Amino acid sequence: MTSPFSLEGKTIIVTGASSGIGRQCAISCSHMGAKVMCIGRNEQRLQDTLAHLAGDGHAAYSYDLSQTHGIAGLVADIVAAHGKLDGLLCAAGIERTAPIKLLTVQDYAEIMQVNTFSAFELARHATAMKHFNRGGAVVLIASITATIARTGTAAYSASKGALISAARVMAAELAKRQIRVNCISPGTILTPLMQNALAQMSDEDRARRVAGFPLGLGEPADVANAAVYLLSEASRWVTGQNLIVDGGFTIQ
Amino acid sequence: MEIKEFIEKFAEAIEVEDASALTAQTAFHDLEEWSSLSVMLLIAFFDEEFEKEVAEKQIREAVTIQDLYNLVTA
Ligand SMILES: NC(=O)c1ccc[n+]([C@@H]2O[C@H](COP(=O)([O-])OP(=O)(O)OC[C@H]3O[C@@H](n4cnc5c(N)ncnc54)[C@H](O)[C@@H]3O)[C@@H](O)[C@H]2O)c1
Repeated sequence: MTSPFSLEGKTIIVTGASSGIGRQCAISCSHMGAKVMCIGRNEQRLQDTLAHLAGDGHAAYSYDLSQTHGIAGLVADIVAAHGKLDGLLCAAGIERTAPIKLLTVQDYAEIMQVNTFSAFELARHATAMKHFNRGGAVVLIASITATIARTGTAAYSASKGALISAARVMAAELAKRQIRVNCISPGTILTPLMQNALAQMSDEDRARRVAGFPLGLGEPADVANAAVYLLSEASRWVTGQNLIVDGGFTIQ
Repeated sequence: MEIKEFIEKFAEAIEVEDASALTAQTAFHDLEEWSSLSVMLLIAFFDEEFEKEVAEKQIREAVTIQDLYNLVTA
């Protein structure tokens, strides 16, 4: 029996594929049989991700997603070169910790541009009838900070909450073509970026953060496995949801 | 800037409502209003008011308000 989690024969765009969660999602999808279209900014690191993918037919596109006007062309190029898509996973994202007193409209706008608007624009063009196969799936990486209050993350949290809200509407609109849209909200995942952030915290703050996770901190693979589920037939009756993957942080 | 004025501005920067309880010898890390984000507020305050770049580490190592004052007036 083929596994319901198989991604065999599927072509999937993964953004943020040069690092951390996106990189692991690209690797995991390739191991499940997908052809992965990797998007990130750093060409060299994208090539490194490509070198770690299983199977062949993968490709890398270096693109700055804050340039939302070019996303239509980027998607068209990918489809022209590699055929219609079956999945889109948006993991590109930035964080900027600051108290609300220091957050300007400019800060909110810059964070939204990368975390939110680029994902909306990708979802819009990727799911166009001429680009996306019936039965395909969209997965947006949100964050538990969208639903809890972690001080210093107002802009980031807003950018992620908007993904969760819009995903529900996209799911309702796209259901008629059997296309599903879901979010994953990870807790603290030990990516290089997060390890860096943790290293900069005072010992006390770090201990407090880690203590909040009953199952300890997460690994990129914990998010990637959830993404495989949401991109595969295994989740064919699941749409518009926000899957929380946080080692139990938010149940307390 | 005199230390008295500095204390008032410090209180405003990290949002201490009752500045009258503060002195140069106050250990600011123990203030109820102090949080991990206060460091960022102070860095912004020092930059705006004194055009001084102060590192997080220096703020963490300072103990009293006087220590902070010395950092930016030295
Ligand atoms: N690490 C965590 O604890 C955690 C928790 C919750 C949510 N998330 C989310 O998961 C996602 C990945 O985070 P990560 O920890 O792997 O971070 P990371 O910094 O390791 O990776 C971020 C990726 O986004 C890409 N990116 C950033 N700005 C871009 C732009 N303008 N154009 C194109 N690509 C861009 C980078 O190239 C990189 O590949 C982010 O959306 C983040 O908000 C992370």
